[in-house]
Amino acid sequence: MIRTEKLSKIYSSGVKALANLCIHVEEGEIFGFLGPNGAGKSTAIKILTTLSRPTSGMAWIGGYNVVTEPNKVRCSIGYVSQETGVDYFLSGRENLVLQGRLYRMDSKSIHHRVEELLELFDLRENADGLVSTYSGGMKRKLDIATALIHNPKILFLDEPTIGLDPHSRSSLWNYIRMLNKDMRVTLFLTTHYLDEADKLSHRIGILHKGSIKVVDTPEALKDSIKGDSINLSLSEGAKEKAITVLKGSSMVKDILCENEHVRVYVNNGSEAIPGLMKLLNQQGVDILSLTISRPSLDDVYLKHSGVSFKEGESGAEANPWWAKWQKGGWGKKKGGEEWNQEGGSELEASKDPEGKGEEVEEGDQEEWKKWASCPTDDKQENTWNKDENKDENKGQEEAWKKWGGSTADWEKWGKGGGKS
Amino acid sequence: MIYLIRDTWYLFNKYLRITLRMPMWALFTIVQPLIWLLIFGQLFKNMASLPGFPAGRYMDFFLPGAIIMTVLFGTSWSGVSLLREINFGTVEKMLVTPVSRIAIVMSRVIHSAVTVIIQCIIITIVALIFGVSASSISGILLSFVVVFLLSVGFSSISNGLAMWLKREEPLVVLGNMMTLPLMFFSSAMVPKSFMPEWIRIMTMVNPIDYAVEAIRAFYSGAISSESVFTGFAFLVLFALASTSWATEMFVNQSE
Repeated sequence: MIRTEKLSKIYSSGVKALANLCIHVEEGEIFGFLGPNGAGKSTAIKILTTLSRPTSGMAWIGGYNVVTEPNKVRCSIGYVSQETGVDYFLSGRENLVLQGRLYRMDSKSIHHRVEELLELFDLRENADGLVSTYSGGMKRKLDIATALIHNPKILFLDEPTIGLDPHSRSSLWNYIRMLNKDMRVTLFLTTHYLDEADKLSHRIGILHKGSIKVVDTPEALKDSIKGDSINLSLSEGAKEKAITVLKGSSMVKDILCENEHVRVYVNNGSEAIPGLMKLLNQQGVDILSLTISRPSLDDVYLKHSGVSFKEGESGAEANPWWAKWQKGGWGKKKGGEEWNQEGGSELEASKDPEGKGEEVEEGDQEEWKKWASCPTDDKQENTWNKDENKDENKGQEEAWKKWGGSTADWEKWGKGGGKS
Repeated sequence: MIYLIRDTWYLFNKYLRITLRMPMWALFTIVQPLIWLLIFGQLFKNMASLPGFPAGRYMDFFLPGAIIMTVLFGTSWSGVSLLREINFGTVEKMLVTPVSRIAIVMSRVIHSAVTVIIQCIIITIVALIFGVSASSISGILLSFVVVFLLSVGFSSISNGLAMWLKREEPLVVLGNMMTLPLMFFSSAMVPKSFMPEWIRIMTMVNPIDYAVEAIRAFYSGAISSESVFTGFAFLVLFALASTSWATEMFVNQSE
């Protein structure tokens, strides 16, 4: 549905926002685009939505070229920007109708669709009130509704929940899931909230300094880090025995003790549990309770970008409008600083005292190549440890399966959100 | 082409609706031109008795000037509101649709011209009540055509400058800075015979002077004179040139 090939964007100010970006988003997918401010997320989305032109490279949306067939692309996509673009002094309904007009729909289908969307987003009650009286969450919903007026196959959401309270956020997530599940809309969303990307996306691409570092399912990404931790609560006196037994298991990567609890690190928690339980039972160790916790995306992000989210936020987003506006002025200076920011690599180095940073980088290249199927000039990537890579693949497969299992929950939430 | 007209119409509708929803706007719109007319009419009252001044009261002489001031002040906000729409993401929301880019500029410019015409209708009515003489209804109507052309021209310039300056503050300052010189380099306030030579030369390239002269001619009944024709042609050219410049600026910046 969405494909980019070696997409690059260099602003006239000299800011290099994208460098050989390759992404491939399948139909029906929710693709999360993750990265700190200034990583190039908005630039990428602006090129894909025909608002900006690439300096080099190509992009296709649903088979249409974004540069040569912009109007065909525009008709097949919806775009929700960071700013709520709805008109404050028009009513919700008027906003929807106007957007329909701009998409050059006929009056009959506009009115039909407007009613449908008001119903879907639970806005009927306030449809004729001015948008300036709406709450932040309602404005966002209306914004999304206007982007869907022409029944697009693909919806781009640029940081959709920015500035919303937790309740509105989770409610919006439900709508997003519903759109994907019930209306078969392919979603491309950028965010710098890790939990958002984690909860919503089928696959996540981590963007750093204008190129994709890694693309995978949230589960697989987290698996690739440390594995899961299994928290065992044991009967009194069984701790020592349990530790001896667990130490002998090939599945266990590490063991940590907290009072009567034993924390066991394994590659894949759900896979390891049956084996571990069997092993402990055979040795006569009683397990009182057991919980698995997964590593967070934060760790994944750190690994691939070398910048923590909080650090990254200091850089300004390279927005095409502003970048152009600041031609040669203070914008240039700021952009330059942002691009040359060394904070990232310093952080990476400090986290990696044994100099494994290099290896990680190569691993990224490999991942990147695998998922984006784009050639790179870097020959060093072949030196990446193949075995470890294999392990990761296994984890990914597992994660896909798990993903299938959890969609039932999503469906439930999506429907609940639609009705409430 | 048909899309351009349709898109322009829908967007124009939107802007008009938003304008009409501002009650304070309506109030100031009525009050402001009256202030120009009455204060200037009083302030320069005695000028009319100077030798060489055209016959009649100063207010009769100044009416075209009051109309032109309304045009200048009314259109200079168009660019500011464009910048505001850009910052609010409203323009981006339009740009992701196949809507004609030219229509985005045209609808703004026409909206601006229409609101100015509404103000000018009010000012004309008040002037007539105060005893300003108009030779014919068609003369008055033709003066609105002049107002339309001039407004289209100046609001295009405001929009074009907005795309060039990118910030509201310099745009407002520039707008204010230009207004009075443009008025002074025309016969809006003083007859040409009172002007020094160099200012008289400046009036020849000032669209405002052509507009003032045309409106004055329409009110006096000299509808078909040659100077009216050249003035009209100049204004049409001015409106066309500035709208194409503004659209060019907008389309370039938005791609």
